[in-house]
Amino acid sequence: MQLSSRTYDADNIAAVQELYHSNGWTDGLPIVPPTADAVQACLDWAMMPPDQLIGIEPVRGLAVTAEKLAINAVMAGCLPMHFPVVLTAWTAMMQDDFLMHGATASTGGCAVLVVLNGPIRLELGASGGFNALGNSDRATAVIGRAIRLCLINLMDVRPGAIDRSTLGHPGKFSYCVAEDEEDTTWLSLAEQRGIPKEASAVTVMAAGAPRQIMNEWTTKPEEILETFAAEMRANLRHYSIHPGNYALIIPKQLREHLQAAKWSKTDIATFVHERARIHRREWAEVGKGAVVRDRGDSVYPAMESPDQLLVVAAGGPAGGFGAIIPPWLGNKSHAVTMAIGACVDCEPPKK
Amino acid sequence: MTFRVLDPTPEKAPPAGQLAPRLDTLEGKTVGFISNGKEGTKGFFGHLDRLLREEHGVAKVVMRTKSNYSAPADAHIVAEIKTWDAVISGIGD
Repeated sequence: MQLSSRTYDADNIAAVQELYHSNGWTDGLPIVPPTADAVQACLDWAMMPPDQLIGIEPVRGLAVTAEKLAINAVMAGCLPMHFPVVLTAWTAMMQDDFLMHGATASTGGCAVLVVLNGPIRLELGASGGFNALGNSDRATAVIGRAIRLCLINLMDVRPGAIDRSTLGHPGKFSYCVAEDEEDTTWLSLAEQRGIPKEASAVTVMAAGAPRQIMNEWTTKPEEILETFAAEMRANLRHYSIHPGNYALIIPKQLREHLQAAKWSKTDIATFVHERARIHRREWAEVGKGAVVRDRGDSVYPAMESPDQLLVVAAGGPAGGFGAIIPPWLGNKSHAVTMAIGACVDCEPPKK
Repeated sequence: MTFRVLDPTPEKAPPAGQLAPRLDTLEGKTVGFISNGKEGTKGFFGHLDRLLREEHGVAKVVMRTKSNYSAPADAHIVAEIKTWDAVISGIGD
C-alpha cells in the first residue's frame, strides 16, 4: 500500500530543516528527513499498513494513523526498531483514562513520561543506568522525542496553540526511561501492573519534572523512604494536593539497601502511601492560607492507594540519590501500561 | 542531494462542529453558562450574569460547572444544552 502523505521536494539538508521549522513542525531542534523509504521501513518493522488506524483522540475526534506516527518517529531520529514503542505509547496515551487532551493542553505544563520494560530494552540498547532521567542513550532519547513531535504535529500541541503550558519543563523534549531490570530483585513496573515478565511494555504517565532527593547517611528503608515521602509532601504543599500516580525513581545505591532489607516494591508503596500526606492547614505555611478555610484538619494523601505509586529501578550505580516524579494533576490523568505488540481491541481467545 | 520528504501533519481537518443559528435578540432568552470550575470563573460568570439580565433582558441564566475542569463537559450538562437558547463556555484561568 502506498503512503498517502503530501510530499515536498527540498534541494538539500538545510532546505529540509527550514521547511520543517518554518511550518512549525519541529521542537526547535533539527529533524531527520522523513523520506518515504525511511517511513516505510518503520511500518514494515511494525508490520502495519500506512492507513492502520491507531486510534481516535477522544476529545477532538482526530484520527491517528500508523503512517503519520512513523513520519514523526523518523523525524525524531527513530530507527524502525524503535517504532513499535512509539506506536504502543501512543495507543496507551489515547485511552480515555490518560486524558491526553487535558494533559497536553493544560497550563500545568506536564510531559508524557514513558517507562520501558521487558526484553525490548535490551534489543534497543535502552539504558536504565547512568543518567537515566537525562540523555542516557539513543533509544530513550529518540522515543521520547517522537512522542512530543507526534503531539506537536498530529494534535497541534504547539506552545500557544493547544499547548497552553505556563512553564512546561525540559522533559517535554524527551522523557523516556528504561527500568534497570537486570540489576534488581524487584518485579518490574510492568509486572507490578499485570504484564507478564516475558512481554515488553510501556507505561505512560502525565508527569511533572523530576524532583531529586539525596540521602547517603542511612541504610534503613524507613529513613531512605522518608526522604522520598518528604519530597512528595513538599509537592503536595507547594504544587497540588490532588492525589494520583507518583513515580519513584530509585537508583542502585539506595535500592540495594532496600533490597538487602527484603523490601519489595509493594512494601515501599505501602510505606510511602502512609507517609506522603499532609494536612490542609500546612498550606498556610507556604503562602496558601487563603484556601485552607475551615478545612485545616483535612488530610490529603499523595496517592489514593499504594498501587498508584509507580516504583522504578533506574539510575547510575553510585550516589545516594533518587527522584520523585509528580503527576500533572492527580487523578485527572491515570498512568496506562500496555504490552508492546498486544492487540487492544481483538476478540478474547475462545475457550 | 535533493530530498523528497513527507508532511507530518494530519492534512485533513478534524470534524468541524456546526454553528447553531444566531439569535436575533437576547430578550427573554435562557442562557446557559458552562464553567470549568476554576477560581477565575466565579467573578467572570457572575459579572456576565448581571450584564445579560440587566442590560440585555435575558430571562434566565443557568450556571453549570464541569466535574473535571480538564475534560469535556459531563454528559448530563451537554444533554441540558438543548433546553437553552444560547450557551457560553469559558476557560477562566
